[in-house]
Amino acid sequence: MPPIIEISGLRKTYSRAFRQPHNALDGLDLEVAAGQVHGFLGPNGSGKTTTLRALLGLIRVDGGTMRIFGEEVPQRLPDVVARIGAVVESPQFFKHFSGRLTLQLLAESAGVSKTRVEEVLEQVGLRDAAKASVKGYSLGMRQRLAVAQALLKQPQLLILDEPANGLDPAGIHHMRELLQWLAHSQGVTVVVSSHLLSEVQQLCDSMTIVSRGRRIVDGSVADIIAGHGDSSLTVRFPDAASLPEAAEALTAASGSLDAAKAAVTASVDRDRLVVRGAPEASWVTKTLADAGIYLSELRTETKNLESVFLELTGTAPVPGQTVQIGESAVVPAAPAEVAVGDVTIEVESEGAER
Amino acid sequence: MNLFKAELRRIARRRLSLIFGIIAAAGVLVLAGVFWFTSSKGPTAEALEEAQAEADRMNEENYEYEACIEDEAYLEGPDYEWVEDDPYYDGLSHEEACAELFGVWTAEDLIWTYTFDFAEESPLLLIGVAIVAGLVMMMLASSAIGAEWSSGGMANLLLWHPNRMRVWGTKLGAAAAVCAAAVLALMLLAFGLLYLAASVRGDVSGVDAGWWDENLPKFARAAVLSVGMTVLGASLAMLGRHTAISGGIIAGYLIVGDMLVRIAAMALQMPFSERLSLYTWVTAWVDGKTELYDWTDLYAETADVMVITASEAGLLLGGIVLGFAVLATWAFQRRDVS
Repeated sequence: MPPIIEISGLRKTYSRAFRQPHNALDGLDLEVAAGQVHGFLGPNGSGKTTTLRALLGLIRVDGGTMRIFGEEVPQRLPDVVARIGAVVESPQFFKHFSGRLTLQLLAESAGVSKTRVEEVLEQVGLRDAAKASVKGYSLGMRQRLAVAQALLKQPQLLILDEPANGLDPAGIHHMRELLQWLAHSQGVTVVVSSHLLSEVQQLCDSMTIVSRGRRIVDGSVADIIAGHGDSSLTVRFPDAASLPEAAEALTAASGSLDAAKAAVTASVDRDRLVVRGAPEASWVTKTLADAGIYLSELRTETKNLESVFLELTGTAPVPGQTVQIGESAVVPAAPAEVAVGDVTIEVESEGAER
Repeated sequence: MNLFKAELRRIARRRLSLIFGIIAAAGVLVLAGVFWFTSSKGPTAEALEEAQAEADRMNEENYEYEACIEDEAYLEGPDYEWVEDDPYYDGLSHEEACAELFGVWTAEDLIWTYTFDFAEESPLLLIGVAIVAGLVMMMLASSAIGAEWSSGGMANLLLWHPNRMRVWGTKLGAAAAVCAAAVLALMLLAFGLLYLAASVRGDVSGVDAGWWDENLPKFARAAVLSVGMTVLGASLAMLGRHTAISGGIIAGYLIVGDMLVRIAAMALQMPFSERLSLYTWVTAWVDGKTELYDWTDLYAETADVMVITASEAGLLLGGIVLGFAVLATWAFQRRDVS
């Protein structure tokens, strides 16, 4: 099945008086497969919203191609827009209109039935607040109204920019279930731009991470995390004095391992030993036992999406420094490919400029 | 058509539309009320009798007049012998000459009556109503467009209707249609209320086929002017993406710009300098034509005359509105929506 969204080499440059032009999009590529919840991630100013705006015809681009449902956009956007529901950036509405009237006007303008308005109000949990004017809505309620607006057309492609913004925990949970139901039961392709990485990890099937207007990596969420997992073992002992001795024993034992395997490193971190590159956890217990050292705790530390994101985008916090907007990773133009298990993940850069 | 209906509904449901609608209708009601309460068909016999009695009383206190009336030879005395030679007093009776010289009160002097002459006065009032309605609609249209930009509603709408020309054309069409309907409704309301006031407390004679032939084109042109103002307001708001920009440009021109243009024309000693003012062209458009006089040649027996016809004024004013509409169209088509 061809991708629902295909973006290739997208460029957008903002000219600025007396300053260098700013490349918001610098040859960005993106593909979204059908029937998936796809996360679109990147640091602030990395070009996510610009990409979505360009895709939806709100801004003009300076180069590259974009296709939705196989149709070139923005030229053929009017032909496919009826199949797309979208919310871009923070939702704004006429303050004095009620939630219901806001939806009714949009529905009327596109020939959508009035009953559909009631359906989506129910679906996003705004049924009882539909009469109230939008000025009395909280941010979360406005977010729900924006999603309702996007769902109104019964879209086959749903594009949501920060859909969980302002939602309470129950709202986030409800939104996650709704989007997964749409994707997995109704066949709707969902593209979600978000900064809530734990949410993306739970919600999305696949994702694309961008930095400075270029794609860094894309693939399934599980594969990307696994590919950049670099898991480590944390070992504790009844007596902290055993730490240097244990580290020495493990480093010495690593020499007898197969040369093809990665070298084992063991470093002392306060009251624990952090072991990287060990073939298995059992190798650590056996090696330490052979050296007459007995451990009290052994735990596998796996990286989560947040740490992978910070690593890939080069935005990991450094003590005493603040990450400035636009200081994320610089991506070289030519992509590289790395193998992760059975899946090949396209990695365009891991080098951070900072 | 769906989008057009939705736009009409969007304008109609805006709070500002409701407020402006109430203010405009109230304004027409007040206007008709002013004529209702100030107009009368003339004093009653009782009021006239009462005023005459008061005038007689005041005349009795005018001793010189009384003395003049009572003495037929009063004006032949040394103080007034010039009267006989003054041609102004030729043919006047003795009483009339006394009244002229010393003043005399009549009942009419003490009763002020005003009769609202519908045929004479209503055309200006109805044109005024149409132009004020146009100004209100211009503000409403620019606010509708400006608010849509500032609220983010425009981006929302474009996510549903990406064909910008269609969206802009529909918005402009809806604003013009609402303006035309509002102006027509207000003019009909004003006509009805003023006619009622005149028929009960004034004079409605003279409203005949000739009156309609003369004034109907003026009313129609005033209504067209209002629609043009609406389109101009919407176009400026689309260009500036803010209500205040539209209002600011229009108010700035009408208050300061027009004055500066006139001053510049006077400084340049330009003949027919009034032609640089938009007010002149608006007057020509509504009235059918306007004449400008140039007296710069001090030795000329007659002034040079420049006639601006409604067609010429329509071309200029229409060109200005069209120019801004085209500019707004171009800007909307080209610019990013953020």
